[in-house]
Amino acid sequence: MFWQVIAANKRNTVILVVAMGVVLALVGFCAGSLVGAWLGMTAYGLEPAPGGPNAGWVGMVIALLVWFVLLLAALLGSDELFLGLAGAKEISHDTYPQLFNVVEEMKIASSLPTMPRVFIVDDPAPNAFALGKSPKKCAVCVTAGLLAMCDRDELQGVIAHEIGHIVNRDALYLGVAATMLGAVTIISDTLLRSLRYAPVARYRSPGTRGGKGMLNVWFILLAFVFIIVSPILSSILYFSISRRREYLADATSARLTRYPPGLASALEKIMLSPAVLTTAPRVIAPFYTVNPYKQDLEGGLFATHPPLPQRIRILRAMAGGASFRDYVKAYWDVTRTRKQLIPVADMRLGETVEIRAPSPMTPEQGRTGDIIRAMNDFVFIPCPCGMTMKIPPEFARGVVQCPRCGRDHTVKGPDKGSAAAILAGASAFTKQASGREQAERRVKGAWQTVTCLGCGKGITLSSAFSLGTVTCTRCGQVIRLT
Amino acid sequence: MTGTIVFWVVVGIIVALVITVVGIYNSLVALRNQVRNAWSQIDVQLKRRHDLIPNLVETAKGYMKHERETFDAVTKARAHAEAARGVPQIAQAEGRLTEAISRFMAVMENYPELKANQNFLAVQEELASTENRIAFARQAYNDAALLLNNKVEMFPSNIVAKLFAFTKEPFFEMEDSSERAVPKVSFS
Repeated sequence: MFWQVIAANKRNTVILVVAMGVVLALVGFCAGSLVGAWLGMTAYGLEPAPGGPNAGWVGMVIALLVWFVLLLAALLGSDELFLGLAGAKEISHDTYPQLFNVVEEMKIASSLPTMPRVFIVDDPAPNAFALGKSPKKCAVCVTAGLLAMCDRDELQGVIAHEIGHIVNRDALYLGVAATMLGAVTIISDTLLRSLRYAPVARYRSPGTRGGKGMLNVWFILLAFVFIIVSPILSSILYFSISRRREYLADATSARLTRYPPGLASALEKIMLSPAVLTTAPRVIAPFYTVNPYKQDLEGGLFATHPPLPQRIRILRAMAGGASFRDYVKAYWDVTRTRKQLIPVADMRLGETVEIRAPSPMTPEQGRTGDIIRAMNDFVFIPCPCGMTMKIPPEFARGVVQCPRCGRDHTVKGPDKGSAAAILAGASAFTKQASGREQAERRVKGAWQTVTCLGCGKGITLSSAFSLGTVTCTRCGQVIRLT
Repeated sequence: MTGTIVFWVVVGIIVALVITVVGIYNSLVALRNQVRNAWSQIDVQLKRRHDLIPNLVETAKGYMKHERETFDAVTKARAHAEAARGVPQIAQAEGRLTEAISRFMAVMENYPELKANQNFLAVQEELASTENRIAFARQAYNDAALLLNNKVEMFPSNIVAKLFAFTKEPFFEMEDSSERAVPKVSFS
């Protein structure tokens, strides 16, 4: 736990709420005064309206009411709202025993007071997010794509990362910020759209007093206020989300699972996956483990997440242990900086956390998961590259792209036979070379990576490698080096 | 005049002292509760494992007719673990149970029909998860115990701890042969 980070997140939440109240009140006051003045001018000629200054206060009260409703929404109902927006379905131990078990294991490791609710989003893109105003009332959500792609250790890494966001109160800040700012965005979008379809307002002479004309004037002004305010607010949101929180959640994940390679390998799979999350509205993008809009590879000023390859390299560089100190050391090594990532008071300097051995995933245990998946009507698709995709029945339709080699596979729908066929015999496609001859140009005396045509595996050759051929360890393809 | 100053200084020091002592006392209580809570978590998971074992044995019995000894070893280890009291004793007995279960799982490898039994596979996933939970609960307990023990030993909180009879909590160290078998590589 990062006490300073938790305190900072709580403080930022309060600051955000208060700042939004002030901004909305000011804008409401200005808008009210403007409307009052304008109405006065158009309705009574050039003399100021009798209720001129009062209109400002009316505007402010309206704005504060809006603020209060937003605050209530943020504090009471936003979790349900986001889960609904993301299209999440709650699951139980009976339907997805392994996922549920992994979440409960991480709940125990992090000493959360209650079991988080567990949700699945029907989306082939691998990703996950966490919601929760406090550790007592929280939820984790993973996509079906993540479930299909990850083994137990990887899933554990991702879930621990999400629990880290809950424990560090990132979920609290994001939840409140996204509801309040998101609502403003939605209101301004709707107003903008309805303005486009309200041509009456433009052709009415402003001189006609009362009735529709006056309503339209109010309406247009309100719309302008929101249109001006919403981009300002959303850039505040994006600037205020520190990229550091992802590193801290990674550090928490490593320490809780005592197995950094699990999360690293899951992030690799997420990075390589060509599937793009289709169900994520922009408002909830910052919630996800990995930004669903794929900006993560660059970084950049407006990025909500740190670059993914860097996160992976840091986790992979944690050779000595899984404590916070080890994470910071790996961070220093990878970024070549000496930035104090974790507040010294939260570092637990005296602590040593040994990295545990990977879960024994014997073929038998892999089969356990497969049989449970087969019982739940997962569709199994063997790909010629050796990967077997296991797809939950909810989205077994359309074209599915192999995450390893990028081949497209057409899925016709839930099909019990596919799982049985795979379970009956080992995959027919493993260890099958492409049959094509492959030759690559060798750059002498340099490190080089060649891609196997048979399975898409990247084979890295050291600068000292001097043989004429290399054999792919995954599919047996022979690559000649010329 | 100087008398009143001295008086107020003394009062100030006493008030500051009381506030510090109360603060330390409260943090000690919070830590002790955390340790107790973590311990109850371990307890829940150990019970869960005890409950799963008859299930496992019952499912396997039909297939593994000639493995009386293995069954007996697991059942006996379970009975021992249930009877154990006190953190070190429980840790030792549960460590033995873990060993008995992993031996049982190794023997089970020779029975392909059993491994294809869906009931058995479901129990196996639950058992594997329970093993993980025990490991994580133990981790959380030991973390909490370490924090408490540091407070009990370190100055100045050790004085308050002595005053109100806070004691160090034992760590939960399980005997596990498989953990010992993993070679440790050190680069330092």
